[in-house]
Amino acid sequence: MKQGAPSVLILGGGVAGMAAARSLNHQDLSVHLVEKQDQLGGKTTHWACMATDTCQNCGACLGHEMAKQVTDQPNITLHLKTKIHTLKKKGHGVEALLTSGKTILADKVILATGFSPFDPEKLPSLHFDTCENIITTAQLNTLIRQDRLDTLFPDTPFPRIAFIQCVGSRNKKLGKDYCSQTCCKISLRHSQKLIHEIPDAAITLFYMDLQIIGKEIRSTLETLSTQIELVQGVPSEILEDPETCALTMVTEDAATQSRVARQFDLVVLSVGMESSPDINETAGFLGAVPNDWGFFNTPETIAPQNLYIAGCAKGPKDILSSQQEGKIAGAQVLKEMGLTKTPDMTVAIIGGPNGDGPHGAKVAKAVAAEGYKVVALDAGTETKTLTLSGTAGNFSIYHGSLGKEQTLACGAIIAAPQACSRPNAGKGEFQSAINLNTFASIAPKDLPEKSLILLDYFGPEFKVSARLALTSAIAARKAGKEITLLMNKMLVHGTLGQRLYDQARRLGIVFLRFDTVDDIKIQPQTKGFHIRLREDTLPNIELIISCDCLVLPDSICSCKEFKNIATLLRSTLDRERFLQPANVRHRLTQDLRKGIYYAASGHDEVDDQEIETGIQEILSSLNAPDTNREETGQTTGVTINEKKCAQCLTCYRICPHAAIILNKKMRPQIMENACFSCHLCLSNCPAYAIESDNTHEMIATLLSNRSPLGKQKQVVIFACERSAALAADKIHLPQNIQLIPLPCACRISSDMILKALINGASKVIISGCHEGNCRSMKGSTTAKSGVDAVTKMPGISPGQITWEPIAANETDKFGRIIAKA
Amino acid sequence: METTTINTRSTLSCLFDPRVLGNNILECLTCGACNSRCTWFDGKGGPIPRQMIRMAALGLDKQLVESGMLWDCLICNRCTQGCPMGITMDQVVRKGRSLAIAADKIPPDIEKGIKSRLETGDVNGLTREEFVETVEWVSEEFVDDVNDPDATIPHDIPGCKFLYLPNPRELGINLLHLTAMGKLFYAMKETWTLSSFHTDVTNWGYFVGKDEIAQKIARMVVEPAEKLGIETLVLSECGHGYHVLKFLLPELIGREPAFNVMSIPELTIEYAKKGILKFDPSRNPHKIAYHDPCNIARKSGCYDAPRELLALCCQEMVELTPNREDGVCCGGGGGILQDSTSTKKRMISGKPKADQMRATGVTHLATACLSCHRQLGELSNHFKLGIKVDTVASLASAALIL
Repeated sequence: MKQGAPSVLILGGGVAGMAAARSLNHQDLSVHLVEKQDQLGGKTTHWACMATDTCQNCGACLGHEMAKQVTDQPNITLHLKTKIHTLKKKGHGVEALLTSGKTILADKVILATGFSPFDPEKLPSLHFDTCENIITTAQLNTLIRQDRLDTLFPDTPFPRIAFIQCVGSRNKKLGKDYCSQTCCKISLRHSQKLIHEIPDAAITLFYMDLQIIGKEIRSTLETLSTQIELVQGVPSEILEDPETCALTMVTEDAATQSRVARQFDLVVLSVGMESSPDINETAGFLGAVPNDWGFFNTPETIAPQNLYIAGCAKGPKDILSSQQEGKIAGAQVLKEMGLTKTPDMTVAIIGGPNGDGPHGAKVAKAVAAEGYKVVALDAGTETKTLTLSGTAGNFSIYHGSLGKEQTLACGAIIAAPQACSRPNAGKGEFQSAINLNTFASIAPKDLPEKSLILLDYFGPEFKVSARLALTSAIAARKAGKEITLLMNKMLVHGTLGQRLYDQARRLGIVFLRFDTVDDIKIQPQTKGFHIRLREDTLPNIELIISCDCLVLPDSICSCKEFKNIATLLRSTLDRERFLQPANVRHRLTQDLRKGIYYAASGHDEVDDQEIETGIQEILSSLNAPDTNREETGQTTGVTINEKKCAQCLTCYRICPHAAIILNKKMRPQIMENACFSCHLCLSNCPAYAIESDNTHEMIATLLSNRSPLGKQKQVVIFACERSAALAADKIHLPQNIQLIPLPCACRISSDMILKALINGASKVIISGCHEGNCRSMKGSTTAKSGVDAVTKMPGISPGQITWEPIAANETDKFGRIIAKA
Repeated sequence: METTTINTRSTLSCLFDPRVLGNNILECLTCGACNSRCTWFDGKGGPIPRQMIRMAALGLDKQLVESGMLWDCLICNRCTQGCPMGITMDQVVRKGRSLAIAADKIPPDIEKGIKSRLETGDVNGLTREEFVETVEWVSEEFVDDVNDPDATIPHDIPGCKFLYLPNPRELGINLLHLTAMGKLFYAMKETWTLSSFHTDVTNWGYFVGKDEIAQKIARMVVEPAEKLGIETLVLSECGHGYHVLKFLLPELIGREPAFNVMSIPELTIEYAKKGILKFDPSRNPHKIAYHDPCNIARKSGCYDAPRELLALCCQEMVELTPNREDGVCCGGGGGILQDSTSTKKRMISGKPKADQMRATGVTHLATACLSCHRQLGELSNHFKLGIKVDTVASLASAALIL
């Protein structure tokens, strides 16, 4: 690093701070990262892995991986166990005095101080302070992370576990009239994990409005709803039976029209997010003023020019979104310092059927504004086939509509098609209903006197529909119209979701709730509709609502061209048939191939703000200087030995990143700018033509370790560098354990396993990412099936070779596995 | 199943001013927090707080009245404590009870009591002459009690420092309690009086939710008190009386009264702290638990005075669990105790309290409300708890060193 290089101060070493640090990987820049804990990772250090048989996309393991990357990053100075003593403006930048006594001059400051979990002692009737069996989501995480779930119920064969949502969120009395955004998803994942670990547990989840938002959450809930009990209504008091220690909560019992006392063995309080106590102090030094909630997520907040705020310091959000914000903040700093690349490439935008759907057009506009040349393409039809070759920085697209040349050279591709809107109004019994978009576009004063907006009737509503329903209902109500909103739940996502919902109720919009669609009977009249409803909160009364106008949102779903786009990009669709598989290593905007990105509603449930943020993140990646490759720019470590290569093209076919191309001599060639170094090609090459330094070193190690331990039992563990090896990093391995890190578990081959056995290993463990969490997508499943094949070989005894999925944050699980081995 | 339509302009809906915190039923999140706080549970019937709020918010006046929940509700506001929007249940229930269509649901005893109160100044219909006769008789006994020929239970003396407003039970079946209170005043060495114009601390207008009646009754207290020119109105131990006269009074009569309002335990502890009153705790040689009357504790915020007083005049004060803001209603609140046809019901609504009393393992219990006092005593008998129930002030009086 140059002397006197510009410098950036990052406050907070959590996910957002680390992501910012990573995107500031530039040799001409010095980065100071200040973290009050003694390690990087923030809250993710305490967060457990939520994987069941497969990854559940929580993203907590990424914190551990990022911590390693940031620690190894050359231009970063880490200040651990350090806080800001004082911070003052100096020249165009700031001068920070750290509690360590050091002084740092910085040109820019990134504030990423994170959040605090709500302290349930502030709600005394939950008796969190006195009952041992009432825990928070954070504590449950610790139990899971420490692999101690089995210690929870030693004498209870069928434990009863309750989750209570919205503890400290959506509470006007506490001054927290906001939704914490993540807790519903966390509790659903926790439920899944508990069911997986304790199959005999009976789980009840008490919620206000289950926030079913985001990638694959609908299908997750669909599966889970058959395994756990979901109850609308959150108990606000827990009593402990002094003798049995059972926890009692009183709930309404619709069947008997009374309140019943229900007992549980464990109650998990799904606590919301509060602003970090550090924020006022730190922000105060710089003249930044948060809002009443202590966050920076509303317009009335003040942040000085050279201060960037990212992650939960800004407002409640999940791990992936924090990472995204951190990355964008870092990129903004780079850009302002003139350290980004000149945008001199063409970017292809694959939009809707006409290439320029509203979302596609929005993306195209933003990318063009940045200085890139933009070409919009449609998703391809039968007459206009579309194929793709090349790798990041050098793609070639063949497209029927491109004219004579018919190929387009581009550096990056952004798939930004819009999700499909399928109208529900105008058909069958809904012949005279109108759709929500139409309703929202009519001037409120011209609307009929009485309207009813029906949500969740054709499936769980998407958040954009729920928001449009609220805003248009408010507008209509303000114009004096009577509005009823019939729903299964209200989605109060986003910063102001709860406030909007509060405002709507205060204005007198009537909100009615149904449990299932069977509770609703819709009767079209000559004019308007009659709706007979068994309202969820009034089980003994049937309500009849008449309205002049029934309003139905369109159903949002996947389009048929998504399949074409996925095929083109050699990717797959997610479980709900949207673009981009649900893998945290690539989300929120990246494909498993470098240089390919996703934006807009075709790949996730996003509102306008999130589309905007998605575009920002993509631009951050595109603008990133060469020294700051998304995956570090080192060489691939894999070469094809042309002498041995039989040109069978197995490697070309199986490379998940499409990083192997056919060169002019029609020989496979590994492209550095696209390769993720997973070594899948190496372990699958039938001619052993693909070589890596890694292979030689490893075998050498294995050989050299043949004798030193003598007769002592030797266990060899092949561990993926991104998961199991990181988990192992934090423990001292006993002498009989030999850990061999691999770039990806798929690097393993039968000969390596056998070699280890021949060399005296009594046991071989192959350990990698949970299924669905592998950067190479299928790396861990490939490894697992490889292991299965070896175990079936003659002479291999059961348990001698095993496959263990271990995430980066499963150190304790790793410890248990080696203890047993 | 009954079928009905929503009526956001129903009589009941129109009684709520959405701008007033506590009145804001339209803002109900239907989160169900209230349901988990109701202590009427594990049995059929009884109120379901969320259903009441929802019926009120949707204008289902008739269904709400017919449900019977309005008069089952103990208006203890325990559910209110858990409401994230700050909706106040007693406001909802009292407005519901005030509806014309709910008139025939008012328990006859309460209707009769209000009539007597408005006509004679006493819910039991005690006339002015009977009052004077009773007080003077008690006063004669009092001389012997304190062994002071000049001692008296005075009435209608203008310009006194304190005016004591008794509970009707103190002039009927519990005269000894009046004597006990007399002792406390006697020991304070301050001027005090009773008034034959307003003999009663209760205000049943509060139970029926009719503000005009509550206001009339309140005026019957305020105006003669102001005429007497007293400094502080001292309330007998009465939950709703305390809540109305200490908290709702300015709102009811539209102005501040010309006197202070205190309860007898509050006054007693004040004089104890001044060193004027002294107690001998060995006269109450037992562990005693304190029951928070909902109207005094949760609804008016008075938690410490009775506890401090018990600590001074008993061997040891212990807590029931849960207590204070989370205290469990005795099961006799909201007018249910005043309705002689509800005795059986009261033993259901009071079951959680009885369980709590049993779990504490004490033999003595005190409270600062004569209604709670009666209900708790009956619970003790009914559930064979063997717990003796006293009022805080009477224990203080018993321990008083004269």
